[in-house]
Amino acid sequence: MQPTLKPWNQRRWDTMDPKSRSTGLVFFPAFDWAISPTHPEREERLLYTKDQIFEEGLMDLPQVVEYKAGFATEKDVARVHFCVPDVRAQITDAHLISVGSAMVLADAFMQGEVTNAFALVRPPGHHAMRVAHGNRGFCNINNEAIMIEYLRHKYGLRRLVIVDTDVHHGDGTQEIFYHDPDVLFISFHQDGRTLYPGSGFIPELGGPGAYCSNINIPLPPGTSDEGIHYVLDNLVMPIIRDFDPEIVVNSAGQDNHFTDPLASMRWTAHGYALLNEKLRPDIAVLEGGYAIETALPYVNTGIILAMAGLDYSHVREPDLQPGALKMSPSTKERVHEVVRDLQEIWANRKELARKRKEEVGAYYENNKRIYYDTDQIEERQTERVKMCADCAGYLKISSSAEKMWNNQRIIGISIPLYACPACQKEARDVFLKEKEQAKPTTDVIYLQDKPNDTFIEWSPYRKEERRY
Amino acid sequence: MLIGIDVGGTYTDAALIRDRQVVRAAKIPTRSELLSSLLEALDQIMEGVDPAAIQRVGLSTTLITNLIAEDKVEPVALVAIPGPGANPSGFTVFDDAHLIKGAIDYRGRETQKLQPAEIAEVMKKIEKQGIRKVAVVGKFSGRNNQHENEIYKYVTQNHPQLEVELGHQAAGKLNFPRRAATTRLTAATRPAYRNFISQIKAALQERKIKAQVYILKADGGTLPLEKAVEVPVETIFSGPAASTMGVLALTPEGQTSVVVDIGGTTTDLALILSGRPLLVSKGARVQQHLTQVRAFSVRSVALGGDSTIQVKADKLQIGPLREGPARCLGGPVATPTDAMRVLGLIDLGDEKLAREAIAEIAKQLPTNSMAPEEEPVITTARKIIDEVAVILTREINYMFSEWEQEPAYRIWEMMQKERIRPQNIVGVGGSAPPLIPLIAKDMNCQGIVPDNAPIANALGAAVARPTMGITLRVDTEQAVYTLAEDGTQERLVRLSKFHLEEAENLARELLKNRAEEMGLTEYSREAEVTHRELFNMIRGWSRVGRLIDVEVQIPPGLIAEWIN
Ligand SMILES: [Zn+2]
Ligand SMILES: [Zn+2]
Repeated sequence: MQPTLKPWNQRRWDTMDPKSRSTGLVFFPAFDWAISPTHPEREERLLYTKDQIFEEGLMDLPQVVEYKAGFATEKDVARVHFCVPDVRAQITDAHLISVGSAMVLADAFMQGEVTNAFALVRPPGHHAMRVAHGNRGFCNINNEAIMIEYLRHKYGLRRLVIVDTDVHHGDGTQEIFYHDPDVLFISFHQDGRTLYPGSGFIPELGGPGAYCSNINIPLPPGTSDEGIHYVLDNLVMPIIRDFDPEIVVNSAGQDNHFTDPLASMRWTAHGYALLNEKLRPDIAVLEGGYAIETALPYVNTGIILAMAGLDYSHVREPDLQPGALKMSPSTKERVHEVVRDLQEIWANRKELARKRKEEVGAYYENNKRIYYDTDQIEERQTERVKMCADCAGYLKISSSAEKMWNNQRIIGISIPLYACPACQKEARDVFLKEKEQAKPTTDVIYLQDKPNDTFIEWSPYRKEERRY
Repeated sequence: MLIGIDVGGTYTDAALIRDRQVVRAAKIPTRSELLSSLLEALDQIMEGVDPAAIQRVGLSTTLITNLIAEDKVEPVALVAIPGPGANPSGFTVFDDAHLIKGAIDYRGRETQKLQPAEIAEVMKKIEKQGIRKVAVVGKFSGRNNQHENEIYKYVTQNHPQLEVELGHQAAGKLNFPRRAATTRLTAATRPAYRNFISQIKAALQERKIKAQVYILKADGGTLPLEKAVEVPVETIFSGPAASTMGVLALTPEGQTSVVVDIGGTTTDLALILSGRPLLVSKGARVQQHLTQVRAFSVRSVALGGDSTIQVKADKLQIGPLREGPARCLGGPVATPTDAMRVLGLIDLGDEKLAREAIAEIAKQLPTNSMAPEEEPVITTARKIIDEVAVILTREINYMFSEWEQEPAYRIWEMMQKERIRPQNIVGVGGSAPPLIPLIAKDMNCQGIVPDNAPIANALGAAVARPTMGITLRVDTEQAVYTLAEDGTQERLVRLSKFHLEEAENLARELLKNRAEEMGLTEYSREAEVTHRELFNMIRGWSRVGRLIDVEVQIPPGLIAEWIN
C-alpha cells in the first residue's frame, strides 16, 4: 500500500522522474456483450480502438502496465445501489467485470504499483442512480460510484473529486453523491436543453447538507478544445485545488468528439489528451463515446499516452482539417459567461452553503421523477435526508416504478460511511420500524449500512432477508 | 529412421530413432563452430548406418541466438511509416529509423499518400551510408501492404544493390513496433543464416543423406530447410522448444505437464496445457527486442546443477552465479551437483571432493540447524536439495499464476475461472532425476523423468511436425479480406452470404495454399480454428457490413511416424 497517500495537490506528474512513472490499464472491450444488436453500446464499440492500441504497441511500453479485468462482487454493488428487487436482477457478468476492472486498478493505484490508471472498459455507468430499477442511458450500475465506495471502505479515503468529461450530464453520479459533502462532483457537458438527459444545470448545486459540492458546467453546442481548456484553466482546476481532495477520478466519456453521432461538440483527440494531462486524474474510467471509428481509436490512444506522460502530439484524426474546429464568437461568449457565473458561486460557496442549510428544518424532503429511457420505466421518488450538525445525515428513499404491467415499490435507508453515531442509530431504528410496519405491497426494504459494511434486502411479502 | 540434432549453447545432442525407439544418441560440448559440432554429433550417430535409410532430419540450432547475442549481424536501415498515433521515439526500435510520411488506418484504408521525393531522398542517404539492407515497415501494413510494396518497387528499380525486407512479410499481426523489430532482425540475420543452411546442405550431400531436412522454430513447429531462410528469426530459442517437444513425445497425450529442464547455470520451465505447449501471448523477447515471433513461453531461472552455494546470514543461498563445474568435477565451489553426489543420488565425479565442498558449507550453518545423529554434511546436502526444489516449485507456481493473469477481452474468457493445475512434473537434463520427485511431491503431481530425458531435445527436433497459422480479417463493407501473415488484400465476391462459416472455409483454403507453397501439405488437414469472431458493423442503426476475424492454426504436435 502507498505508505501515505499524499493529498492530490501535492502529487505532481510533471515533476516525477519519467522513468518511475507508469499507467495501469485494463482493456475490457466485452466483445461478446451488447444491449441489443444495433445499439450504440454493442460488441463493435471498442473494436477499432483495440486495433489501434494493439498496433501502436502501447501495452509494450515500459510506462504502461496491463492488468487483467476483474470481478466486482454483488456486495460491492449493494454498497452503492438499491437494486430492484435484488443485485442479480440488475446486472450481467459484463457489469461486474466492467466495474470490477475499475476496482482492480483502484487497488493497483492505492498499493503504489502505478502512478495512475485507466479502465478502458464497457458497459458504462454514469447515468445509473442509487435506485436501480433498470437501464438508464445505457447504464445499469455506476462504475465510478462503486469504485469510490470500495476505495473508501477498503482504504479509508474520504475526500474525492469526480470530473465527468462525458458530453452527457453525469446525472447518475450526481444523484448518488448529491448529499455527500466529501465528494465534489464536477460535470461538464453539452447544455441539457439540447441533449439527453436534459439535466445538469448550474443551480443543481447539491443537497442542503452538501451545497456547492456539485458543480455543473453546461456548455453550448459547438464548444471546441479552446473552450474546454478555458473552462479547465479558469474554473475546474482552481476548484479542485481549493477542494483539496485525496484523489481525482475522471469519468471519461469520449462523446464530446467532433465526430460523435449523438452530440454536437467539437473536441479533438488532442483536446482530450491535453485535458487528462492538465486534470491529472488518478483513475480514469471510460464512459460514453460512440464515434467508434473516427474518434475512439484516436481519443483512447491520446488519453493513454497523456496519462503515461508520453508525447501525444502525433495523435491526430485523419480527417481533421487544421483550423476547422473554431468556436463561433457567441459560443465563446457563452462559455465565458458560464465560467463567470460558477466562479462567483464557488467564491461564495461557504456563505451559500450556510444559508441553504438554514432554509431547511431537521429533515430535508424532495420529490423526484426519473425516467429510464432504455427500459422505459417511470420512477417516482421521495428522498428524506436527516440534517445533522455533526455529519452529512442519513438518507431515506421511497420509490415506486411503473414498468410495463407491474409497479414496484421500495424503501431504502442509506447510512454514509462517515455518519455520526446518533445518525447511524436513528437510521437503523428507522429500518427496523419500516420492517415492522411494512405493507405487503412494498417489494423490498433496504438498509445500506456502510459503517458496518452490511447491506440488507428485506422482502415483506416473503419475509425473507438477503444480506451482502 | 529419423535423426534429431539440437545444437545448444553448451551441448550438442543427437539422436537416431527407429520404430519409435531412440537407438543411438550422442552428446558433445558445443564449440564456437556450430556447424562442426553439428556434424561431429551427426557422424557419431551415423557410424555404420546406411544414409539411404534416413527418412527425415530435424535440426534445432542456437545460431540465430548467437548471431544476435554477439551482434554478428549486418547493419540494417529501418524505414518506418508511422502515420498518426504514438510518437515512434517512445520505442527504442525506432531510435535511428528514417520516418517517412504516409498512413494506413486500422481498416487498411489509405489516409495519407506516400511522398515519392521523400522516399528517393531517404534511399539515397541509406546508400551513401554504405548500408545494403533496408527494412521497410508501415503501421497497419498487415491490413494493407500497398505502401510497403510501392517502396519495394521503387528500390528494386532505382537501387538494385539494396536488399529490402518488408514488414508485412516478416510480421503481419497487429503491433507496429514489434513488426519493425522482427523485420529488422530478419534482414540482419538472413545472410549468415543462408550461408549456414547451404553449408548444412552441402555437408549432408557429402554424407549421402538425401532425406528432407527440417528446422525447428521457437513455436515447436518445423519448416523445410529451404523455407527457413525466409524466416530466420523464427528459429530463435529452438533449444527450449526442442526440449518441450521432446517431453510432449515422451509423456501421455493430452495431459498438463510442467517441463523442467535443469541445466548447469539455469533451469528452463515450460508449460504443456492439455497437450498444448503454452505460447507467449504477443511474441518472443529477443534480448532487448520485442518481436512478433511465436515462441513457447519459457521461464528461465538462474539456478542449475553448477550454481554457486553460499551461506548468507545463516541461510543457504543458491545461485544465481555459476563459477565453473561442480567441485566433484574439479570446479572451484560447492554446487547442488556436489550435494547430490554426497547423497548418492548421482554417480558423477569424485565423492571425496563433493563431501569436502559440502562440509565447508555445513560449517557455516548454525549447529542447531543440524539433525542429531546424522553427519552434518548429509543434513546440509539434504537442505541444499530441498532448497533447490522449493525455489523451482515457487517459480512453477508463479508461472501458472502469470498465465492466469493474462488479459482476457471477452466475458466467456473471464468466466472460465477453473484453475488448471499440472498433472506431471517432467524433468529433462542431467540433474533432473533426483530433483523431480521432490518438486512433484511439493506440487502434488506425478514426477516423470523419461528414459531419454538427457536427449529429449534431440528427440524433440526429430519428431516435431510443422506449424503454420493464418490470421484472416474479412471486411464485407469494403468487400475485401486481408491475411496478416503476408498483408495480402483481395476482393471478395458474394458478400451477402459471407458469415463466420464462409470465413472459416476461406481461412482453411488459404492455409492449405500456404502450406502447399511451404511444402507442408500433409499437415494442412490438421488445421484448427483457434479464434473466430464476427462483428456487425452498424452505422446509424442499420447494418452496413460485417467484420470477421478468423485464425486457423496447425498447432505444434508430433509427426505421424512417432505417433503411429
Ligand atoms: Zn455520453
Ligand atoms: Zn449525524
